[in-house]
Amino acid sequence: MSQPWRILVVDDEPDLEPLVLQRMRRHIRSGKYEFEFAGNGLEALEKLRADDSIDLVLSDINMPQMDGLTLLSQLGSLNQDLRAVIISAYGDMGNIRTAMNRGAFDFVTKPVDFDDLQITIERTVEHLRQWREATASRDKLVTLQNELDIATNVQQSILPSDFPATAKYEISANMVAARNVGGDFYDYVSAPDDRMFATVADVSDKGIPAALFMMSSRTALKGAAIGTGSPREALVEANRVLQADNPTLMFVTVIMAVYDPHGGQVTYSSAGHDPPVVVRADGSAERLPAMGGIALGIAPENVFVMNLKEHTVTLGPGETLILYTDGVSEAMNVEHEEYGTARLLQLFAGNPPKSADEAVTAVFDAVAEFAGEAPASDDITCLALHRSATP
Amino acid sequence: MELAQERDAGTNVIRPAGRVDGSNSADFHESLMAALSGDDNRVILDMGGIDYISSAGLRVLLLLAQHLSGNSTPFAVCSLAASVDEVFRISGFNQIITVFGTLDEAKAQLA
Repeated sequence: MSQPWRILVVDDEPDLEPLVLQRMRRHIRSGKYEFEFAGNGLEALEKLRADDSIDLVLSDINMPQMDGLTLLSQLGSLNQDLRAVIISAYGDMGNIRTAMNRGAFDFVTKPVDFDDLQITIERTVEHLRQWREATASRDKLVTLQNELDIATNVQQSILPSDFPATAKYEISANMVAARNVGGDFYDYVSAPDDRMFATVADVSDKGIPAALFMMSSRTALKGAAIGTGSPREALVEANRVLQADNPTLMFVTVIMAVYDPHGGQVTYSSAGHDPPVVVRADGSAERLPAMGGIALGIAPENVFVMNLKEHTVTLGPGETLILYTDGVSEAMNVEHEEYGTARLLQLFAGNPPKSADEAVTAVFDAVAEFAGEAPASDDITCLALHRSATP
Repeated sequence: MELAQERDAGTNVIRPAGRVDGSNSADFHESLMAALSGDDNRVILDMGGIDYISSAGLRVLLLLAQHLSGNSTPFAVCSLAASVDEVFRISGFNQIITVFGTLDEAKAQLA
């Protein structure tokens, strides 16, 4: 058994400490997590200076003496390899944006949902584990291949795995990285009124700089989705964050959709990314209209917003929304033919998927069968949102 | 990467050919930069010979466009193959890089 992950919880509400200890008791007893507590940023900094074994700081924003945002800006000076997760009020864009700029790894929103917090902590420490493993091996052997391994580890560590599933709908996704090319990721984040954001993205280029850009992109997109509630607004916000400091001109194409399970509405927008495909209950499929956006990170806001649209469609019972990257549509066989969107649209003819997982599996199987012996030249990502046939 | 090139009264026309992806994008970047000259009044990238360009290749075009805009040198691409044209439209690159249908149009209109 390895050392427990040490987590410092910073909040001025005295109620949080017993709650955390109670809800996390199983993981505390098993030796997975150890919790420390501080009542404000100053107290947290003192603890961090005295104890360099803290891995994760989970901090509220509004606190007396030193608030969470000031604490965030001080963490860098500690020179410790730790990550910060911020607890923010839902939709508090101003604070979320500041936290992102100051390097927060992730967010949870108030009131704290402990299942979500548990998943967020899990992902953060998994990211930290892979990051440390990769940087440790980099210290031994700095080669290009090694850098690409680090990038691959970072990429894997930001992908969520516990997919949302309710009686009304479910989500499934998969990403298979091509060798030497890293860039795709997917994510989802829950929103008020049971709505759910789903995102698929493709970062340009590869290696460590691209992996770091991928991390910022994911955090920016998640924060912007939480902060704005609309895919179009979220893309505008994420572009603002990413474009502000991007001297190497990296970019990321993104398709973002938000699903309302009460009426089945899907609202989506796209930043330089292929539009979604909807598979009808009879297995026929169509490509939704393109939204005219530009890839994130490279266009100033006035240009970015000019042609960017948002569109709403209704997903009927038994229908499936598919978000994918060009690794699917541009997968090549040995004759250098592309798989193409037309084949994707024909894939479910007469055989509609009965679950999100079935849809994702079918896409990956079809691409693998088409490509045959040809090696994948790009990452392949597919996310499916399936509305239950019986409401 | 081999590039064909012709210069005519300050207009630098560069003609790359083949596929540009993550495996040769650094080489593509280097070749393009080497094809520039301080005497260029304007630069046109004739993409007619490019049958595939990945996001890594698009990033090289951005770096080139940024470099030229820093020198206030007009820059455009032209003659995109249908598949490359689609990549430009979907990624929104046609909104940030000037695109002409043919080399003649580019020569006539790029100022």
